[in-house]
Amino acid sequence: MTVVTSKVCIVGDFAVGKTSVVERFVNSQFSDKYLTTIGVKVDTKEIDLPQRGVQQKLILWDVAGTDRFGDTEFAYLRGASGYVFVADGTRPLTMGTATSLRDRAFEHYGVKPAVLLVNKHDLTGAWDVSEQRLKGLQAQFGSVFVTSAKTGAHVDDALTHLAELIVDRAIADQQ
Amino acid sequence: MSDLETLKDLLFGTEKQVLDSISERVESRELRSADVADILPEAIHASHRSGGELIKALREPVGACLQQEIRDDPQTYGDALYPVMGPAIRKYIMHALRTFTQQINEALEQSLTPKGLSWRVQAWRAGVPFGEFVVQKSLLYRVEQAYLISRENGLLVGHAQHEAARIKDSDAVSAMFTAIQDFVKESFSPDRTGRLESADMGEFTLWAVHGPHALLVCVIRGVPPRSLRADLSAILERIHFRYGDAIRTYSGDTASVPEVEEELTACLRLEARQDTGTANKGVSWPLLIILILVVGAFGYFAVTGWLQAQQIARLNAALTDTPGLYITDIYRDRQSVLVRGLRDPLAPTVSAVAAANGLSHVEIVADMQAFQSLDPTLLAQRAANRFGSPEGVSFAVEGSRLIVSGAAPVDWQEEVALAYRTLAGLDDIEFRMSPDERAEQAAAAPGVDLGQLDAIVRQLDGRAFYFASGTTLTAQSADALTAYADQLKAAAADLALLGRGLNLTATGFTDPVGAPEVNYALAQQRAEAIASALVELGWDGAIIARANPDRATDVSKVDPSLRRAIVELESVETEPTQ
Repeated sequence: MTVVTSKVCIVGDFAVGKTSVVERFVNSQFSDKYLTTIGVKVDTKEIDLPQRGVQQKLILWDVAGTDRFGDTEFAYLRGASGYVFVADGTRPLTMGTATSLRDRAFEHYGVKPAVLLVNKHDLTGAWDVSEQRLKGLQAQFGSVFVTSAKTGAHVDDALTHLAELIVDRAIADQQ
Repeated sequence: MSDLETLKDLLFGTEKQVLDSISERVESRELRSADVADILPEAIHASHRSGGELIKALREPVGACLQQEIRDDPQTYGDALYPVMGPAIRKYIMHALRTFTQQINEALEQSLTPKGLSWRVQAWRAGVPFGEFVVQKSLLYRVEQAYLISRENGLLVGHAQHEAARIKDSDAVSAMFTAIQDFVKESFSPDRTGRLESADMGEFTLWAVHGPHALLVCVIRGVPPRSLRADLSAILERIHFRYGDAIRTYSGDTASVPEVEEELTACLRLEARQDTGTANKGVSWPLLIILILVVGAFGYFAVTGWLQAQQIARLNAALTDTPGLYITDIYRDRQSVLVRGLRDPLAPTVSAVAAANGLSHVEIVADMQAFQSLDPTLLAQRAANRFGSPEGVSFAVEGSRLIVSGAAPVDWQEEVALAYRTLAGLDDIEFRMSPDERAEQAAAAPGVDLGQLDAIVRQLDGRAFYFASGTTLTAQSADALTAYADQLKAAAADLALLGRGLNLTATGFTDPVGAPEVNYALAQQRAEAIASALVELGWDGAIIARANPDRATDVSKVDPSLRRAIVELESVETEPTQ
């Protein structure tokens, strides 16, 4: 099985749960304690993609939350093979931020495989995303997952899907 | 077709086709280009072989072309020249470093510190120049990990680590280093051209060497020398040369950079340790011989020094125990022993003492000042020398008392009694006479024969009596004169029986102090005083009193024993008495 390493950047607005998503995906853990990320935090996770005959090692760059990219954040995105955009389902504005960040990243580094995670689905009382909005986001991002870092719902699915997109993109580029 | 054309075809059919073909090739730009391209290499070769015209022709346009290209796209040419420029620059730096090492070597050659000598021996055994060895000793380091990181995306292209190194996730380390690198560049480099090249973390140093497409990051334990950066650059250049395109387009597929980790392993061989290259070498015989010689020489000098110290100690003890010698300093000066101190003239010499103690082979230089010792042995010897030592008489000293033992004439005893105080250290005298000796001193008994009388006369002849001052006898001489008168009378009586008589002559003496005339008169008076005293004591024989005709002139010799009178006897024939 071929081993492929890919850089994936996790980006999104402040406190949308980027670090919690990574922690759930990498270590299957969750903490209610909020620790803001300064700069960037790097984790790795290996995923087997047997159908494609590839073992994908994701280098996850958990970039500090921001509503717009500065020079340093742009530097962190350089060379990324894919993006995980994260929004907070209880704060509709964060979805707009995710869209804005996506546009800026693609504008700067080209279009790359990406998924949008609308997170905090466990907070059903505060959930504020309509089905129509989700469809709109689906049209923009191509892949949208309603996730919960707390329960782990769809987190692995989202990251695995992104890994597949990255491999498919690489194969397409080679061809 | 006209007749003329037909005629041409008939006459020049083949040639016409050739001409048409040539015409077509000349008129067609593509065909001409293909023809020129076909023969251009051969033409260039032929022109180059025939002379330098081609070079002259190409120099200017090619130079202008290169200048323009480099100005327009410096990065491409920089990347292209990177594998070439690196070794050239490194070679220059190596030469400079070698010169610098040579200077260090020359400087250190002058140092003779114990550590320097030790390092010199180790460098000699390891077979490396001393300066280089010192650099190795001073800069101990070891490359423990090497990361080859893509500059484009921060992905880890390859990784190698030392056996002892521990690391959790090299990909995460690679990514985090890239993130830090980006952060530093964005934060502290205004034009974003700055690069993070080194970082210190406790005992580790982190060095990053940047190439066009990848950077080589090494984790180094200890303090690396600057020359290590050149070594790492060489490895990175080799990697670029071998995997240039693969690294430039690296997207995480490790298969695209096969065996890159073998290249990185070369980094791990860059280390300098204290025991490098010396641990497994066998015994160095030249070094062993030198060590034996050094130890032997050290032992020889140690033993010789110890023996010489023992000799000096023995000599010092012998000299100290010898009466009349006082040693103030004794030490070895090259091959001889120098002795300083005081020596009584009566004491043996330093060399004699050394010879008597089995040290005659020691070369001795004595610097002895004369002094008078108060040692009892030497005082007794000095008294014997001073007064002469009649047969059977011996001297000894107890405290400050001079002990005279044996049989001696009374006048000699009186002489000693008067003069012993002139010897320093003596303030009392004692005569110890045995009973037999006293009997011998007794006067001849009546009825003795002439021979015996002659012996008595000889004993009485020349007796001296001493004056305290003027014409006053010393108490001892006064007593002696009384006994002398009795002995004279007894002897005269016995001689008279044999028809012989005694004529006495008393001769007076003085010390040289005073006017000669006065002394002469005093000497006369002393002689007369003795004569008168003898008459008063019952001497009825002839007696002549006279002054010593030999006047002493040496006024420096003030000797109480000179103040005396001497009685001389002369036996003469007389009418025998009945």
